[in-house]
Parts: sequence; structure tokens; C-alpha cells
Amino acid sequence: MLPRRDPETQSEGTVAGYAQTFQRWPSQPLVRRPQTHSELTGPQNLARRLGSVRGDLAGHGAKRALGQLIHLRTRVVDEDGAPVPGAVVEVWHCNAAGKYIHPNDTNDAPADPNFYGAARLVAGDSGLIELRTIKPAAYPVPDTAGWWRPPHVHFSVWGRVWLSRLVTQMFFPGEPLNDADPILNAIRDPQARSRCIARLALTAKGPQNALVYEYQLVVRGRSAVPSLP
Amino acid sequence: MTRLVPTGEMTLGPFFPREFAEGANDLAAGVRETEVIEITGRITQLDGKALDNVIVEIWQADSQGRYDNAEFYGWGRAASDANGVYRFRTVKPGSYDGRAPHINFLLLYSGLMRQLQTVMFFEPAKDPVLDAVPASARPRLVAKREGAVYRFDIRLRGDGETPFFDD
Repeated sequence: MLPRRDPETQSEGTVAGYAQTFQRWPSQPLVRRPQTHSELTGPQNLARRLGSVRGDLAGHGAKRALGQLIHLRTRVVDEDGAPVPGAVVEVWHCNAAGKYIHPNDTNDAPADPNFYGAARLVAGDSGLIELRTIKPAAYPVPDTAGWWRPPHVHFSVWGRVWLSRLVTQMFFPGEPLNDADPILNAIRDPQARSRCIARLALTAKGPQNALVYEYQLVVRGRSAVPSLP
Repeated sequence: MTRLVPTGEMTLGPFFPREFAEGANDLAAGVRETEVIEITGRITQLDGKALDNVIVEIWQADSQGRYDNAEFYGWGRAASDANGVYRFRTVKPGSYDGRAPHINFLLLYSGLMRQLQTVMFFEPAKDPVLDAVPASARPRLVAKREGAVYRFDIRLRGDGETPFFDD
């Protein structure tokens, strides 16, 4: 069985200042269900079905994307802190002007022909995924009263079982917009919220002088087999 | 041992890369099964508007009720189209261990702060997950059959709201 979630450490369903949540989050309370074999299994070797997509979003040489080069060092672990090797992770974010490679993005910021906005990676034995990219910019949210999203990186992660699925966003330290963002602040517990902000690793020299950010993604579940003494 | 708290979930946002959502909604491709079914439905929000590009992921057993069949990969992903309609091709799962045939659904979308989990059943049945839902709402988790097509509409909020699960 997986431990139940603590609602304080998770986002609220409806969020003031984010109108769509009031159209889309269910009005009825979520139903508690028993955990059976069906929820406690999940797709294995997902990488074979989905394949990997790029491992470098920043490009090289004359084809280098604009923006501050960064190196994201992200570890996927379970609730025991044990690495989840083979975890599939999808990453996407906007460019250094705040524009996504997506037809639905109406922001008039310029596209960057050398920036690739999406990667799918597979965690190694230590649960580590590494991604070279550029730091995304802030951007305004259309049809809102001055809401700007702080720079952030989207993650979609598969853990060991169906109930371990995690979709979240990673934020950057020291960004003034972090304090006003309805999405980040939908997590009530301040410590849980601060864990959604990456750590700048000033001493760790990244490849090609990229700034290194470290981050940890904790998926639901305990380690499958406790180690023997 | 220190317990770590699972990372807080956040919305998928409106710009989930299209390429991620493509090519994973046919679970029956290459499967030697005689009975291939289609599962389709329309996803709407409170004001009745159909939702474009909702990401729907499913997890199901094979026709014998097994989750570890190397010949059948029980996971799939689809995106709803401009009419709010998603589609999967798959096989009907078998029952096992007290569970009626069912397919687990997971929805990800802009404006959904966390993933929404629901379950599709093929007929009214005795099942511990279906039984956890108030009796009046159970029919909303049972797909409507039209030949080889099972229709499973999802209403996120409002009249006829689909029951969603917390676990």
C-alpha cells in the first residue's frame, strides 16, 4: 500500500486568481478508494514504448539557443529517498523570451529557431537525469489582471506504479515573481512549497560553464524490497 | 529511515508538447486478440464547453485480467481534439481477484492543479472501487456500449459530474 497524501503538501483544487480551476476542478469531494493490484502496478519499461526525445535543449555552436545556459541535475527518488532507476521524465519549458513552441501560445514574444522546448529522458541507476538547456523567462498570462508566470520548468514523471504518476513545475530561486504565483502558492505548506524551487549549485561547474541547478522529484511509493542487514 | 514527502503536483499548463501526446492511443496494435474495442468520450467543464488537448492516460489489465503480460502493454495516452473527444483502441480487460473489468483513467490539463483519477467500468458490477462511490453516481462510471465502441464521457465539474478518486 502507498501512504495516503497529506493535502497540506499538495495543491488546492481551486485557486483564487486562476479562473480555469473553478471550471475544471470537481465540485464533489474526491472518493477514497481501496488500493488494489490495479492501482499498485503500472507500465514498466515505458521508455521502450515512448522512446526518448532529445537530451539537450540548448543547441550548439552557431545553433545555440539564446539565453543563460543552465544544467539541470534532477534526481527521481521515492518516499524512502531511494532512487528510481529507469523512471521516464518529460521536460518542457519556454524560451529565454517567454515563448513556448506551441500553437496555443499567443504571447507575442519571439520564437528562437535554435531552442527545442521538449525532452524525454530516462533516469540512470542513481535516479539522475541531466539536461542542458537555457533558463526560461517569465511571461504574462493572457486574460488575467497582471499575472506573470515566474520562470519555471515543467516535469512529467512516472514512478514505479500507476499511483506514482507526478506532473509538476520546478521554479528558480530568488525570483520575485515566485511569491505572487497562484500555482506555486497553491501548495499551502511553506516547506513543501520551497521544495518546488531548485537549488543553485554554485560550486559545481557544469559542462560548458552552464549554471548548475539541482532538483529532486519525489514520487509516491516506498522502496520495493527493504535491504537486508 | 526518513520519510520524504511526495513533490507537490501542479497543473500541466496549456503548452504540453503535442509530440508527447501522439502515437500512444492504440493498445491493440500488433496484439493477437479477436475482440478489439474502441473507447471514446467527450470531456467537458462546468459551463459545458468541450475541452481541447486534455491529456488522458489509461492503465488496464489484458483480456485475462493480467497486468504483467509482455505481449500486451496495458498503458496508453491520448489527447482530446478540438471537439473535446479522445479515443483509444484496445482490448476489453478481464476480471481478477474481486475486481470487475475496468480501466483506470488519469486526466492532466491546464486548470487542473492535480491529476484527476477516475475509472471506467463496462457494466454495473460488484467491485470495491465502484462500491466506494455513492450509489446515485455509480452509473456515471459505466460506459455506454454501441457495438464495439464504448462511450465514456467525462464531466469535470457541474451537472452529471464524473466521480473522481483520491488515493
